[in-house]
Amino acid sequence: MRLWKKFKNSYALYSFLRDPVAMGSFIILSVLALSAFGAPIIAPHNPYDTTTINIMDAELPPVWQEDADPSFLLGTDAQGRDMLSTMLYGMRVSLVIGIGATMLQAIIGIILGLISGYRGGKIDSFLMRMADVQLSFSTLMVAIFLSAIFQALFGVAAFERLAIPFLVLVIGIAEWPQYARTVRASVLAEKKKEYVEAARVIGLPSRRIMWRHILPNTLSPILVLSTVQVAHAILSEAALSFLGLGMPITKPSLGSLINSGFDYIFSGSWWITLFPGFLLVLLILVINLLGDFVQDVLNPKLYKG
Amino acid sequence: MKKLLFLVLTLALLATTAQGKTLKMALDADPESMDPLVQLSGGMLQYSHLVFDPLIRWTKDMKFEPRLATKWERLDELTVRFYLRPDVKFHSGNPFTANDVAWTLERLKKSEDFKGLFTAFANPKIIDDYTIDIVTTEPYPLVENIATYIFPMDAKFYTGTDDKGQSKDAIVKTEYSFANENESGTGPYMVTHREHGVKIVYTRFADYWDKDSKGNIKEIILTPIKENATRTAALLSGDVDFIAPVPPQDLDRLAKHQDINLQTMPGSRVITLQMNQKRKPEFADLRVRQAIIAAIDNAGIAAKIMKGDATPAQQQGPEGFDGYVADLAPRYNLEKAQALMKEAGFEKGFDATMIAPNNRYVNDDKIAEAVVSMLSKIGIKVSLKTMPKAQYWDEFDAQVADIQMVGWHSDTEDSANFSEYLIMCPDKETGKGQYNSGNYCNPKLDELINQANVETDRTKRTAMLQEVERIAYNDAAFVPLHWQNLSWAAKKGIDIEPIVNIMDFPYLGDLVME
Amino acid sequence: MFAFIVRRVIQAIIVMLIISFLGFALKQNVGDPVREITGISVSVAEREAIRDKLGLNDPFFTQYFRFLKGAVLEGNLGQSFFYKKPALEVILKKAPATLELVFVCSIFIVLLSIPMGMYSAIYPKRILSRIIMGLSTLGVSIPIFLIAIVFIYIFSIQLNWLPSYGRGETVTIWGWESGLFTIDGLKHLILPATALTALMLPLFVRLIRSEMMEALQTEYVKFAWAKGLSPMRIWVVHAFKNTLLPVITVGGVQIGTLIAFTILTETVFQWGGLGFLFLEAVERADTSLLVAYLIFVGIIFVVVNTVVDIIYGLVNPMVRVTGRK
Repeated sequence: MRLWKKFKNSYALYSFLRDPVAMGSFIILSVLALSAFGAPIIAPHNPYDTTTINIMDAELPPVWQEDADPSFLLGTDAQGRDMLSTMLYGMRVSLVIGIGATMLQAIIGIILGLISGYRGGKIDSFLMRMADVQLSFSTLMVAIFLSAIFQALFGVAAFERLAIPFLVLVIGIAEWPQYARTVRASVLAEKKKEYVEAARVIGLPSRRIMWRHILPNTLSPILVLSTVQVAHAILSEAALSFLGLGMPITKPSLGSLINSGFDYIFSGSWWITLFPGFLLVLLILVINLLGDFVQDVLNPKLYKG
Repeated sequence: MKKLLFLVLTLALLATTAQGKTLKMALDADPESMDPLVQLSGGMLQYSHLVFDPLIRWTKDMKFEPRLATKWERLDELTVRFYLRPDVKFHSGNPFTANDVAWTLERLKKSEDFKGLFTAFANPKIIDDYTIDIVTTEPYPLVENIATYIFPMDAKFYTGTDDKGQSKDAIVKTEYSFANENESGTGPYMVTHREHGVKIVYTRFADYWDKDSKGNIKEIILTPIKENATRTAALLSGDVDFIAPVPPQDLDRLAKHQDINLQTMPGSRVITLQMNQKRKPEFADLRVRQAIIAAIDNAGIAAKIMKGDATPAQQQGPEGFDGYVADLAPRYNLEKAQALMKEAGFEKGFDATMIAPNNRYVNDDKIAEAVVSMLSKIGIKVSLKTMPKAQYWDEFDAQVADIQMVGWHSDTEDSANFSEYLIMCPDKETGKGQYNSGNYCNPKLDELINQANVETDRTKRTAMLQEVERIAYNDAAFVPLHWQNLSWAAKKGIDIEPIVNIMDFPYLGDLVME
Repeated sequence: MFAFIVRRVIQAIIVMLIISFLGFALKQNVGDPVREITGISVSVAEREAIRDKLGLNDPFFTQYFRFLKGAVLEGNLGQSFFYKKPALEVILKKAPATLELVFVCSIFIVLLSIPMGMYSAIYPKRILSRIIMGLSTLGVSIPIFLIAIVFIYIFSIQLNWLPSYGRGETVTIWGWESGLFTIDGLKHLILPATALTALMLPLFVRLIRSEMMEALQTEYVKFAWAKGLSPMRIWVVHAFKNTLLPVITVGGVQIGTLIAFTILTETVFQWGGLGFLFLEAVERADTSLLVAYLIFVGIIFVVVNTVVDIIYGLVNPMVRVTGRK
């Protein structure tokens, strides 16, 4: 109750209610997220239930076009799956992977970046060269490597079940250096400032200085990076699907749907790539707009008004 | 400076008009090497037909036509005599003689990729400069088929050592060799510029022997464009004149396009699924295998996923092949499939695993995906993993999954070749059944193929090969899906229809461009 | 400075050792190169013989030490199976294509992102700022291959203004194959460079905007206003200069990534550069080319990040780069 009161009187809520873009984005994102996670209830078909899919339904156009089948609102894909349902299920996968992988990247990157920038010296060199090694092994190489280990451990059959955590791990591990370097740069600039010196002088432990004093001041580039990285992670997964290292093709994500639609770009079956494309753009757009808002509100260095 | 530029431009312009037509073409890959014996692949054989010339070659209707051999006759069970064309010159200027054929044959037997095709061949007998007897160690019915692989090379040109001290005839797969970077054949085109993976330029050979050829292309610039959509775009935007293959999903659009000349033709590459009887005991039950075949609507796959760019198959070799049996009925019947599963005691179905490549055959991963949903209708829950071909074959050999996809094109354009690799009992000693990951094994079928391989009487042989297809059909040895069609597209005015064929070797030497 | 450089060179060597070791450990998983260089009907025994000949059957450490020996003594990073040439030669041959693409793209980004980012930070409420931010968000949300193929569709197929693939005509200057000096080469460059810029620009616009907004609120900028300095001077010299640190960091990593892994753009436009080479090496299981490539990329990242660290010190004198005395 007290928390609620605190929230009600907070600056965040105040500015949120006065920002129509943020509110609009929040509403759209909520609707999208709800329909993604509620897909099993909302979706008219279950694209994961392969018994219901009929190849003869392949590439039907959306209902408002000729030759459409009214049970497929937005048409069907090349396998005869209902586009709308597949997109909803796919969005769930993409959201989990995008946000999960970005969080993993951020956690690894922030911790290593803070340590690297604050401690300096040998630890810094070591961590930053490790980042260089990691950068040289792109997502693709990490995926190839981990998938080989994965297959040796669990066999071919398990992949379909464990694909999502696997992909979060792959994309999370592959792209932490971006965060680490960004955080480190900010830390380098911050740690010579008076307030850090002051904290040190009064004898605060360095862990507290790092987390409570320096980290909040490096938030702004982290947030900018994060919103971009979510989009990036979703698309990374799509690129991996292309190499057979992403989601299994029987459980497509939004990104891999768009990717497979690439083949149909000249064929006239525009809905296969355009609908998921539009949904992805919308999803990332609102995430980014909210990101902008959060960034402005949370940033301790911005004086509001 | 300006004047000079003008001069250069005019000269360049004059040069191109004097030389005649230039054909810009985009394929999915460029030839791996300039040495025709370094690798046995579609791309290399296409190259060989441009730069070299075979003794004889296939025509559009699967007959043989004379090239460097004007005629040939079988002397006895072991010998075929080839009469060679006189007055043929290599690109180096050396004259072509029987000695070059013998030399090439010897080199073929050294090539890792080609020696398998030439195991039955003994040393040939040179009768005179323009007559040669090709001799086999046992009766061999396919001498003509194999003769299409004999592209005589310039023995003099390739003999000796190069400036690096290496032997000029060395066949080297992964490093520099003289033959990898130089050529002298008798073919209509010479390689005048080559940057591997980027482009290769062919220029018409002035002394080409075939003066009757109407071909009027003086220069061919081949660029590999692997990405399907980009290749189609390059043709539509006019950046290239000729593309192959055309992705199935673009066929419709290109067929309707008024400035584009699209050609398609049933091909001979069969796409199949193998059901591993050793790994998955359920598949040892004939009824289960029959149920799987009956559950898979291969006509639907050909129509929808392949966009009609494939011919549904019930057997290995397509029409036109000796073993083809016309009356093998389509087997798709979902109710029967369910009944068979029930009969076999698997009414509730079972789980299975499957692997397929995702960049080897046309729409391979999409086909596999469709199969998964079809099999789920008879209760078989398949978990599928698709992967790029670089990783696929190791997994295939290791038989990591219960159902595995494999496509096959017969190098000999003969039915027996399919069975030898795909359904004969796997035998490490003889190498038979090398790609039989289903572990299907029927000694009677093996016996028939072995007999057919030494039978030179075509009628008897055809009967044997047809019997083989029937046995495989009745045993539900494998799931035949379809034969991939072949497709080419060019700008209007480029008459590609007469020069394309089922082997996918466009005879560009004879191409006429308006 | 000298000690700093020496230290970095030593670190770079260690990085390369680690990469080559990991690369070697990884390469088995990429696939079997022998499969890719033989026809499908070649027998198992024959294939085994080729593998023996290429030394692929030797124990891991034998192969690794042979590689190290070649690399250290002869500067030989192995032989590309597909190109049939030394791997390093292949990589260096492809590098100009990517470097030129990245160069042009970086110029676009610098020219566009700085004014756009600054403007939207100074006047956050104006319509133009909102448009800039909206467009930049849109840019980052659209998959690059979609942008690329739409570009091809509009500008190559429908309008027929620009070529759809490849680098076009190039001239060779001191061994550098350049497309920047021919009309045809430049025409070929426009679409891929624009597509790549559309992808990368948003990140920088947003970063500059957010850093700049922070800087504008600081005491010293307020002090500068109070002193009555000209707005231009305050924005550029006082505020903008202080936004550079994170921008340079992100920029450095991004440039490295662009050079090494511009895979999708290069594939769609059939741009024969490094990203394309990398993807093809993976697809063809050209493992020795792949190992050489990873090492090459490792060097790029060490160099780029070293340069970034040096620039830190120049831009912000408060930052003392570790190891610099």
